[in-house]
Amino acid sequence: MTKTTRNHSDSFQPSPDLFSQSWGMPAVVRDWFLARHWTPRPHQLDMLEADRAGKSALLIAPTGAGKTLSGFLPSICELANTPHEGLHTLYISPLKALAVDVARNLVNPIEEMGLDVRVETRTGDTPSSRRQRQRFDPPSILMTTPEQLALMLSHAEAPKLFGTLRRVVLDELHALALSKRGDLLSLGLARLGTMCPDLKVSALSATVAHPEILRDWIAAPCPARDVAMVSQTGGASPELSILASDDRVPWAGHSAQYAVPELLDIIQQNGTSLLFVNTRSQAEMLFQSLWELNEDSLPIALHHGSLDVEQRRKVEAAMVAGKLRAVVCTSTLDLGIDWGDVDLVMQIGAPKGSSRLLQRIGRANHRLDEPSRAILVPANRFEVLECEAAVDAAEEGAQDSEDPQPGGLDVLAQHVLGMACSAPLDADAQFDETIRAWPYRDLTRELFDRVLEFVATGGYALKAYERYARLRKTADGTWRISHPKIAQQYRLNVGTIVEEPMLKVRLVRSKAHKRGATTGPIGRGGRMLGEMEEYFLSQLMPGDTFLFGGEIVAFEAIRDNEAYVSRSYHNNPKIPSYMGGKFPLSTYLAERVRGTLADPTSWKKLPDQVREWLSLQRDVSKLPGKESLLVETFPKADKYFIVCYPFEGRLAHQTLGMLLTRRLERDRAKPLGFVASEYALAIWCALDVGQMFKSGRLSLDELFSEDMLGDDLEDWLDESSLMRRTFRNCAIISGLIERRHPGKEKTGRQMTMSSDLIYNVLYEHEPDHILMQATRRDAARGLLDIERLGHCLKRIKRHIIHQNLDRISPLAVPVMLEIGKEPIFGEGRESVLVEAAEELMREAAGE
Amino acid sequence: MSVAQAQPQSPLELIFAAQTFVPLLSGALFWPAQNALLVADLHLEKMSSFAKSRQFFPPYDTKATLAKLERDLSETGATRVFSLGDSFHRDEGTTTLQIHDRALIAEFVAHYDWVWIAGNHDPSAHDLGGHCCDELSMDGLMLSHEPDANIAQQIAGHLHPGARIRINGRSTKRPCFVFDHDRLIMPSYGVSTGNLNVLKPAFRPVMNKENMRVFAIGRDQIYPVATKYLVNG
Repeated sequence: MTKTTRNHSDSFQPSPDLFSQSWGMPAVVRDWFLARHWTPRPHQLDMLEADRAGKSALLIAPTGAGKTLSGFLPSICELANTPHEGLHTLYISPLKALAVDVARNLVNPIEEMGLDVRVETRTGDTPSSRRQRQRFDPPSILMTTPEQLALMLSHAEAPKLFGTLRRVVLDELHALALSKRGDLLSLGLARLGTMCPDLKVSALSATVAHPEILRDWIAAPCPARDVAMVSQTGGASPELSILASDDRVPWAGHSAQYAVPELLDIIQQNGTSLLFVNTRSQAEMLFQSLWELNEDSLPIALHHGSLDVEQRRKVEAAMVAGKLRAVVCTSTLDLGIDWGDVDLVMQIGAPKGSSRLLQRIGRANHRLDEPSRAILVPANRFEVLECEAAVDAAEEGAQDSEDPQPGGLDVLAQHVLGMACSAPLDADAQFDETIRAWPYRDLTRELFDRVLEFVATGGYALKAYERYARLRKTADGTWRISHPKIAQQYRLNVGTIVEEPMLKVRLVRSKAHKRGATTGPIGRGGRMLGEMEEYFLSQLMPGDTFLFGGEIVAFEAIRDNEAYVSRSYHNNPKIPSYMGGKFPLSTYLAERVRGTLADPTSWKKLPDQVREWLSLQRDVSKLPGKESLLVETFPKADKYFIVCYPFEGRLAHQTLGMLLTRRLERDRAKPLGFVASEYALAIWCALDVGQMFKSGRLSLDELFSEDMLGDDLEDWLDESSLMRRTFRNCAIISGLIERRHPGKEKTGRQMTMSSDLIYNVLYEHEPDHILMQATRRDAARGLLDIERLGHCLKRIKRHIIHQNLDRISPLAVPVMLEIGKEPIFGEGRESVLVEAAEELMREAAGE
Repeated sequence: MSVAQAQPQSPLELIFAAQTFVPLLSGALFWPAQNALLVADLHLEKMSSFAKSRQFFPPYDTKATLAKLERDLSETGATRVFSLGDSFHRDEGTTTLQIHDRALIAEFVAHYDWVWIAGNHDPSAHDLGGHCCDELSMDGLMLSHEPDANIAQQIAGHLHPGARIRINGRSTKRPCFVFDHDRLIMPSYGVSTGNLNVLKPAFRPVMNKENMRVFAIGRDQIYPVATKYLVNG
């Protein structure tokens, strides 16, 4: 019922005047409460009240506050009062596992109340026979995902199926609303709003910085309806601490290796712990090192999205059964599925954002009245600062804010095709409906028409494809699909999640990498370990070792769609698969970190070693200011370094590095390379740039001036892989390129076209094509770092402080240690060619 | 990261079968002795060929590829063109040409001595002008579409050679010219084409790894690359 069946009693407070009121519930529901000596929580009653007043409702509550019941209570009461033919309530969650979990927890109370209410789930895993049946004989309450909603809406019988619908329950809306999946969901809701004008929406969300955005978001599709804001506050505040290690916190790195013995002690002392890390490879590394020291063989498991589904299910089952002491996991466990009692959450590496931290903390302990306990484990010295800032923010309940972006045009294209599949499409009506979806409220008719053209014939200036049109305008003015196959194509393509191409990873017997032994068969038919990004695997040479599934494996070969690996006995993987942080540091935390640095009086809360480090920095150089930018220059090993500290996250720093080196090159300062960390950027040059700044030959203000985000950025963006990847996603979501479906690649029924080539041709010949426009709009969403960089450059304008040093500063040490560890970005990587060619020349010259 | 910019220098020469060629950044090969331009795998009308399965790719690749050709022709001053097969992505491509593309091709074949060698994608002869043939022997060299281990002194296309070069953990993949003592395989010229790593099995029967040489196409120049830096992927 609540997310923790076992802890029902903890979600409801016993009431002194048990029999004095009906709480506005039908007897059968009230009696169910009374039989358990429970009292509904105030926010649950508020939800009922909102419903009686004919309002939709947005409930903002931390995890584990009986939130799910609150969403369903009005529906249960209504169904208990009046029998209902057909679908009554549609529940939509971001995760199919969550839909299944919630259904399970809803069935019990409904049975206990003796209600004749059928609850079913519908996800990608539901057998097609049942999905088929659900379209004609729906349950009263259906639990599903945004993608399944889109699919159901694309069928001709959608109006009949949804005509009886009274309520939509949106769970974990904060995780959906401001994403492309949220765009798709909003369009689906707008369609539901057209089909059933009486629809009420109950939305459930974790605490967010701007609840009014979510309120407007759910209000938009049913404009006639008010939205009541219900919040559930209180509960015990979390107990947060930062691991105080006896060991030295390292200068750089992300693995928190130093803390492993202490982590094991903590696991030992607690019931069940969740250890959250930010990336899959960090999870792998941590899991490996925990087991190296795990002499008591504590049951510690690993859970991340790349592991084989079966393996993940095993871990989840063991967790629910209470058989595990710890799970090392990534964001796959972020959302509110109930895996059982969690006593402690540990965040390894900095949490990067206060909202994420708060949600993760919410996983510890679903009992509202006991505090959640969480320990933060910084992986390096800068992260100590970040952890401090995050703890402060969490204690204040401060949230990161995310700016909503206009709805994706690629998502709209997908939706328009889906709507045309369900019924002939009237462009005027579809446009009116579309702008009732909140992310599309400002969409112009002109843009909508171009999207429609795109869906019909590709939307090119040349009318080359009329005869193959997917949609045709018929005599009555409506648009119809030209062939039933198009609906099939659409259904294969539904959804907004575009995965990196992945390869299955299979463990085989090694063929032994002896000198000269390059032939011979590789053992086949080994165990499947999971999946990994193709781009990573394709760069490996046979024999290269890396971490996967908690063990060190050696790459053997790629065959068909599988990568073969063998067990390796090396202690250290040769290829670090750490690809940088997945989440950039939130602007909000960055600001706090800068604040701490700039204010020595706030250092007393810091560990001694960190305080000493900062004091030393203050003595030999300067401290970065809260609103200014510190730029240090110093020589090292016949190179000249520029190190600056914007604290805007690795991605923003990489972009900045790319743009600054372009400018330095133009200024003939001979830049040689750069490396970016979450906090700082280091560039090295062949010439003494410190001297050039001092003498005025180079101006720091000009170097960092905002106009680098104009032409320089455009030039670089158009060539950059970021733009290409964004385009690929848009092309797939919009249906220009068909999705790669696992197993289908081999049938070769249709050669696919590389999205890079399509991008090149469009860029060159129709740069204003709707999909290029969608890509650029997306860049604003996907490449938030650029927007951030823009804010940063604006902030530091004329506040750049130059410090010329004769050697490296203490603050520069962490970023300098990243040199060589991080792949260095090259423009088109021409240098690789230059070096390879030079080597050949030297050989040719007999050197 | 900054890279020492290659200074403009005299064009790199490629000596094959005792003849001197100039490989161009576009992927064409200029043959000064014959005043001829060699191109392979134009794959014209590739994007539009997907339309019948209702995948609407930008129908501009033909125009873009022809524009490349026009540039190469005017820059080299070549008077002859040998197109080494797969000039069209499919035979029907000659019928789906847009008006301006068809007009430009007509202009080409009228001005230049133009030879269309048949490829596996476009095996049939067509009536766009110029000469259609299966292969062509020229000055002791055999110009064909598919590389053939039984033919010595052959220039071919078909395989779309590309090279992944890895140095100090960094790598880059580029289309390339690849040749040994017997055979030269041209990179694909069409803007809608990808490339295949020269280390793939497809190259084994037709390229001798011992004396294989790779000229990779960079941004501003062609780079002869030491084969020890070539990697898979």
